[in-house]
Amino acid sequence: MKLSTRYNRVNLLTSLVILIITGIIYYVVIHFILTERLDRDLAVEENEIRQYTQTYQKLPLPASYLDQQVSYKEINGDVSNIRDFSYTSYVNPKENEIEPGRSLVTTVNLKGKIYQVTITKSRVESEDLVRIILFITLGVTVVLLLSLILINRFVLSRLWRPFYSILNRMKTFEVTKMETIKEEPTQVDEFRELNESVNAMAKKVRQDYKELKSFTDNASHEMMTPLAVINSKLDSLLQTETFTEQQGHLLEDIYHATGRLSRLHQSLLLLAKIENNIIPDAENIDIQEMLEGKIRQFQELFDKDGLEVRSKLENTEITMSRYLADILLNNLFSNSVRHNHRGGRIDVKLTSNILIISNTGKDKSVQDRIFDRFSKSAESEGMGLGLAISKQICTLYGFELEYSYLDNRHSFKVYFKKSL
Amino acid sequence: MKILVIEDEQALLESILAYFIGEGNICEFASNFASASEKIALYNYDCILLDLGLPDGEGLELLSQLKQLKKKDGVLILSARHSLDDRLAGLDLGADDYLVKPFHLSELKARVSAIVRRKNFDGHNLITFNEIKVDVSAMKTSVSNNQVVLTKKEFDLLVYFLANKNKIVTKNAMAEHLWGDEMDLSNDFDFIYTHVKNLKKKLAEAGGKDYLRSVYGIGYKFGEA
Repeated sequence: MKLSTRYNRVNLLTSLVILIITGIIYYVVIHFILTERLDRDLAVEENEIRQYTQTYQKLPLPASYLDQQVSYKEINGDVSNIRDFSYTSYVNPKENEIEPGRSLVTTVNLKGKIYQVTITKSRVESEDLVRIILFITLGVTVVLLLSLILINRFVLSRLWRPFYSILNRMKTFEVTKMETIKEEPTQVDEFRELNESVNAMAKKVRQDYKELKSFTDNASHEMMTPLAVINSKLDSLLQTETFTEQQGHLLEDIYHATGRLSRLHQSLLLLAKIENNIIPDAENIDIQEMLEGKIRQFQELFDKDGLEVRSKLENTEITMSRYLADILLNNLFSNSVRHNHRGGRIDVKLTSNILIISNTGKDKSVQDRIFDRFSKSAESEGMGLGLAISKQICTLYGFELEYSYLDNRHSFKVYFKKSL
Repeated sequence: MKILVIEDEQALLESILAYFIGEGNICEFASNFASASEKIALYNYDCILLDLGLPDGEGLELLSQLKQLKKKDGVLILSARHSLDDRLAGLDLGADDYLVKPFHLSELKARVSAIVRRKNFDGHNLITFNEIKVDVSAMKTSVSNNQVVLTKKEFDLLVYFLANKNKIVTKNAMAEHLWGDEMDLSNDFDFIYTHVKNLKKKLAEAGGKDYLRSVYGIGYKFGEA
């Protein structure tokens, strides 16, 4: 949920609740005040009737005044001092309508007789007043809510714009590209601070990355010489030719290990180079011809495992470095051979915008981290760098490299144009 | 052939010299820029093995010097830098080949032999070993004047063996030579065996002696037993 949505929700909900409560309180209080006033009027009337009866020793005429009716009833028995306010209905004789009313029932003592006096007043005016007040309150509520929504929608989103802009820049930030996160012009202190912190962080990250990278580069270069020495000494040692069978095997193992080490080393250097984009100019490459060449080149490897290779290639040209194209195809083919089973199949399909290399495979499930460095299946003899390099090469040229597993076949797809 | 090895890493220098000495090769060495520069100016070599990372100077400058002196020495650059820029710059300045460290001595020897052959025979690129004759530029092989038809890989292998006569060549080095070191091959080089077997068979059928033998399963040795 967006911050503004959340804020909006809380804000609107609170405003609504407060306004409803205010409305209710308003209604109750005004109702109470108006009823009080009516009751006071009724009491005044009662008083008048009492004074009249005392002065003239007779009941006033049970007349109807404006919005007020008085009636008398003689009651027998010993009922004294009833005084009771109540809500009743009031029949308006002029308009012949029943309106809400308020009445006071009281008693008057006249010449020893007790009369029950009922004074009824129409409540219509006060009800109208309450209603008007209620409508005004409601109106204000609606207007207030609407303006709150509008403010939140337009003003808030404008206020937050620098934040989202900074966020976007952070999302697109790549440590390998040495660009800074641009300053976002804003008057808001918090955002300015955020911007500064983000830039400071980016700078630090870049710095750390640079140091790490130069360390890796230096380390690899320094590793080269001893490796070369080991290799040449091994070659020299081999020429002395005075080994037992057992020593021969030991030598073989050392050879393998140094071979692996130098390949690993070259792969790491290559990765670093691709990442830093220090690969010479791209050229137009007939990828079909290249694939055919690769299939010939790998023929021995295919034959060794009895792999059947089927290819369906269309004439396609892509623009990339020949050197990297070679490595990419090498890696994909090596992969399809290495993870195949004896007598398996490899299908190669090339159209103008996609290259698919799919193979039958030993292992069923492959980790999601297939393109990560040094991620490899347990029985793999490789270094786990081939696919990382392939991915990196594809990324460099804006290709997309995809892996899928379907019907017992592992497929690698290279989309030459981004599918978007 | 007469060779100058310019290399500052003593251990590596010794190995290279040890590998090249013999068969009438004359090997000299220089382990810094100054002495290398002096030797280049004074003598002529069939091939100069040049390490680019010298402690007291940029190896590429020696190439410029050679050019100024109008010398025709073959040059093979050795570099720890797997950098294409260096490679191109080196080749532009007149180097004949470029080899990245670490390398197999057998590969180095094969490359040096190729350079020397190209320099000396000017297109007539012949290798002779007893009854075996190989015309490298025409890609033709004959044993006691019988033509032998070899595949590309078998031919390359034979030339490689001839350049490394009487040396043990590892399968690892052979695989890298034939398929390139970028191929990320597994350590299982069984398929090389097929090529070696076929080569052996074809040479024998044409009446050649059996010069090839397997050594401890690590590699092969070509030469008189």
